[in-house]
Amino acid sequence: MSDEIIQIETPFQFNEENKREFDELIGRYPVKEAAMLPTLHLAQRQAGYISPAVMKYVAELLELSVMKVKDVVTFYPMFFEEPVGKYVIRVCHTLPCALRDCKVVLEHLKAKLGTDIASETNLAKGTTDDGKFTLMKVECLASCDVAPVIMVNDDLYKNLTPEMVDELLEQLPN
Amino acid sequence: MVQERRILYEHLDVPNINTFDVYRQHEGYTRFEKAIAEYQPEEIAQMVWDAGLKGRGGAGFSTGEKWSFVPRDIEPRYLCCNADESEPGTFSNRYVLEKNPHLLIEGILICCYAMGIETTYVYIRGEFTLGKKMLDAAIKEAYEQGYLGENVRDTGLNINIYSHPGAGAYICGEETGLIESLEGKRGQPRNKPPFPAVQGVFMKPTVVQNVETLCNLPFIVGNGVEWYTQMGPTYADTRKDPPEPDRNTGTKLYCISGDVNEPGVYELDLGLTCTELIEVAGGLRGEEVKAVIPGGSSAPILTHYELDTRLDFTSLTLAKSMLGSGGIIVMNETRNIVDCLLNIMKFYAHESCGQCTPCRWGTPWVRDIVQRIADGEGRQTTITRPKFGVTESGRWGDTGETEEIYEDLDLLENVANNIANVDTMTWNTICVFGIAVSWPAVSYMRKFRPEFEAAIREGKLVTLPIAEATVPPEENYAYQQRFIPKEFSELQETTED
Repeated sequence: MSDEIIQIETPFQFNEENKREFDELIGRYPVKEAAMLPTLHLAQRQAGYISPAVMKYVAELLELSVMKVKDVVTFYPMFFEEPVGKYVIRVCHTLPCALRDCKVVLEHLKAKLGTDIASETNLAKGTTDDGKFTLMKVECLASCDVAPVIMVNDDLYKNLTPEMVDELLEQLPN
Repeated sequence: MVQERRILYEHLDVPNINTFDVYRQHEGYTRFEKAIAEYQPEEIAQMVWDAGLKGRGGAGFSTGEKWSFVPRDIEPRYLCCNADESEPGTFSNRYVLEKNPHLLIEGILICCYAMGIETTYVYIRGEFTLGKKMLDAAIKEAYEQGYLGENVRDTGLNINIYSHPGAGAYICGEETGLIESLEGKRGQPRNKPPFPAVQGVFMKPTVVQNVETLCNLPFIVGNGVEWYTQMGPTYADTRKDPPEPDRNTGTKLYCISGDVNEPGVYELDLGLTCTELIEVAGGLRGEEVKAVIPGGSSAPILTHYELDTRLDFTSLTLAKSMLGSGGIIVMNETRNIVDCLLNIMKFYAHESCGQCTPCRWGTPWVRDIVQRIADGEGRQTTITRPKFGVTESGRWGDTGETEEIYEDLDLLENVANNIANVDTMTWNTICVFGIAVSWPAVSYMRKFRPEFEAAIREGKLVTLPIAEATVPPEENYAYQQRFIPKEFSELQETTED
């Protein structure tokens, strides 16, 4: 059954740069399986999300079954199994941020982007129609002194107010 | 006014301290050089033991003791540096990684030398993209300068450091969860024993240490054990006969957030009180302190009656709480404890790894109960139950009095205590995540019970004045036996008299 699903996907392959990085990675560990997380991060950076084709490719690289890769992908919240927007906005909503009104920031983002908050099983719910943004809540980002914080892709933005959110969204190129 | 004592953070704000050259100008790598020139590996391990360094990651286990469990005849051995900082309220490791990564590398080098380790994995949480970038750059520089790689500084040592990204799972901060994750599996903790010191990553002896613990090593080696042990209070462990000194040496990177004017990381000697710490952090934002979480969200809460509690490993354990990772969250009089508990329980319900049934089902259950109370739908049984006790006739039976039951509060305590029992300190799960859930759940509910009862009674969240919301220590089983421990020197004086 799962094989049939994989068949219809376009096959995935690392580009040359990522292949080089992978070859360097694999030498760090005594067993290939240990390179799983860094490899999946690389793959996600290239493909945008972990599709069945990506899982199949990673499984071949690490000489594992696809099931084992899927097992890992479903465990970690940072791996997406569906397409996400160009900018993934992660809003911290754990206690220290909650004490500093992260709700205001979150509600403002929701209104501004006109989207709901993505859940782990339904990323499309939090993605804007133009595919530019995905809005999601995350647990503590370990920056409680500068709360409330959000992460836009790899960058952290601190001490946010709704006005700063507006400015930030305008700055992001399409 | 308490002064900061910056040791780990001394050069943190020096521009470009993340580069090798600037770090070198600030005594960088001299401590490692001293270690390899003047001491044998076993001597370093002994120094760490003598310094009384306790693990800064959460459990507070003696580092020297942990190292002594590692069998030195099994090759290879590994070091895992735990930089998966995800405990809510903790953010000190982030600054070390982003601003002063060479300090961590020096700490790792000393640990590797002392334990004869050749390979180190630094497990960085996936969200720390900047921290990982800075550390990777620093590692690259250290390789170029000959402090890493084969034959380090012509000593014949081979030491490699690799950074390994996590992917957003809180449970990977637990040492065996981290090891499983590092091996490329789901981060589900292992049963102990065997402990990682004997069978850890790739089933080889493994030392797992927090970033902050490793950063202490250069200073212990550089300035000596005597200098290090001056800092922090030493208590008398009266459970032993004769009493043994229970040391809390060194400084701690206290992370203060929540309702204070200047939240941030403050490096201070262990053993100052909550009140002093709030003062250091620019004072309270608001009128009065309602509650303080002393060690990350897993730690039992402290009420305004307990603000004189000293924030160190021993005192907080005796106050039935813990120093944990040193993440201190302060709440003022406007905060509703039910709301705060709901936030924390959502966190745990999300982060349970799903391996053990009590935790997988218990955490969402606890969350749902608190959600129900917060939504004003908390269950209150209208039928009052008879109160059992010694009757007038002197026999055990129904005393004729009745007791109102807040069904949901009993249920909350029951469910939480069946994940991990906070009174007996036994848990029905593989790892200590269980206790990290039930500790806040039960302690918030017991210590701020009037606020929970009010929410159920009124059908909405009610923030009571502090005096009404808090259960006084003398009336309640929540605090258990609480006393301020004696300093070892004081005890010696009294016994001499």
